[in-house]
Amino acid sequence: LPEVASSRQRILEATYACIARWGIFKTTVEDAAREAGMSRASVYRHFPGGREELVAETISWEELRFFTRLYDELHDAPTLVEVLERGLPFAHRAILEHEVLQRVLETEPETLLPKLTVDVTRVTALISGFLLPYLSGDRLAPGVELREAADFLARMVLSYITSPGRWDLEDPVQVAKLVRTELLAGILAGPQR
Amino acid sequence: VATVVSRVATPCAGMIDNETDIAILFHGMGTLQLKLVDVRREQPIAPQRVRIADAANRCVARRGVQKTTVDDVAREAGCSRATVYRTFPGGKEEVISAVVDTEVARLFSALAVSMGEADDIEDALVVGMVCAATAIGEHEALQYVVTNEPGALLPHLCFAPLGAVLERVCEFAVPFLARWMDPNQARRVADLATRMVLSYLATPALGIDLTNEQTTRRLVATFLMPATRSTELPNTELNTEVPNSELPNSELTGLSI
Repeated sequence: LPEVASSRQRILEATYACIARWGIFKTTVEDAAREAGMSRASVYRHFPGGREELVAETISWEELRFFTRLYDELHDAPTLVEVLERGLPFAHRAILEHEVLQRVLETEPETLLPKLTVDVTRVTALISGFLLPYLSGDRLAPGVELREAADFLARMVLSYITSPGRWDLEDPVQVAKLVRTELLAGILAGPQR
Repeated sequence: VATVVSRVATPCAGMIDNETDIAILFHGMGTLQLKLVDVRREQPIAPQRVRIADAANRCVARRGVQKTTVDDVAREAGCSRATVYRTFPGGKEEVISAVVDTEVARLFSALAVSMGEADDIEDALVVGMVCAATAIGEHEALQYVVTNEPGALLPHLCFAPLGAVLERVCEFAVPFLARWMDPNQARRVADLATRMVLSYLATPALGIDLTNEQTTRRLVATFLMPATRSTELPNTELNTEVPNSELPNSELTGLSI
């Protein structure tokens, strides 16, 4: 079983390397097999759906690596405010500095984005699952439903880190304002409510 | 009718075509009508552009952007290919971009009517979001593209390019919201509301239907209204005890499978 896992891993890494070099459109099963030092047949054994499946799985795999890095960076944050105030700039910077993502966004957005958006539900669930413990207990404003609030936060976090618009997420003052007004004002309990 | 026209005319001005056309609304007989008027001549301009754009809109609703040709559009509009090219020298690309402009103008016009009649900020946000969600959901051409040609649409709505969309929506919405708050705050609220509409339309959440006024009002009251009031967060949260957050395993497996 470990061997299965590691050859699957090797194929995903190889496919990612091919996409980084040539983009999504030009990457074939042969390329991935050659890069992984395996036969076409072995690649098909792990990914019977061929190229389409291979590309989709590689994108999900890299997404997971991305959010695992985010988790490693933030899991020791003591409060929700701190998670968001540290997390928004870190995640946004990580997106901007993600060379492969930025290159593919520039050259093949019409190919990449439909594949990325397929995963939005899972990514939102991942973020809201991480935020949920910070919201539980008596921290919520009256009438706010825990899961709905976590889901709302996850959606908005995803929106602001991918497209900050006019917000400058490098500016701690702006980030503090974004977190405390747009994101949390309605969610957290406070004396004025 | 006269009040509605004067109230909405300014925010709509120039939405159709910055050079020549001014969109003016008539809200009569229970239906919305959009009429193009060249105010300098004070008479209707040749509706050729809109007629061709509407024909192209119907073609896209049936076959999508990719398969729609200038011939299809000409046939649908009941004119010659030459007329299409005379009106839109850039050909198909320019026709499609005219469809987008026309439909955005229609959406803004409908929003202007509903938001212009709102009595308070919560109402303005709720009716605006319901109106936008309904128009988007019922738009056949847009829905065809969403389902069958997402690659043509998503590059405008994801990552940095969304900024331009937010700018355009905010530019439209700020004058309406600024009746109750200062323009800078109105802009931030419009920005947040737009993100909410896009997110909940793209990936629906259980129990939240933005075309339904009741659920939208609850969403707005819970998450959006506090952002219109609050300038800072209560201090209590800052000292709250450390929770133990974990990356949920089920989600991990879900992503890696």
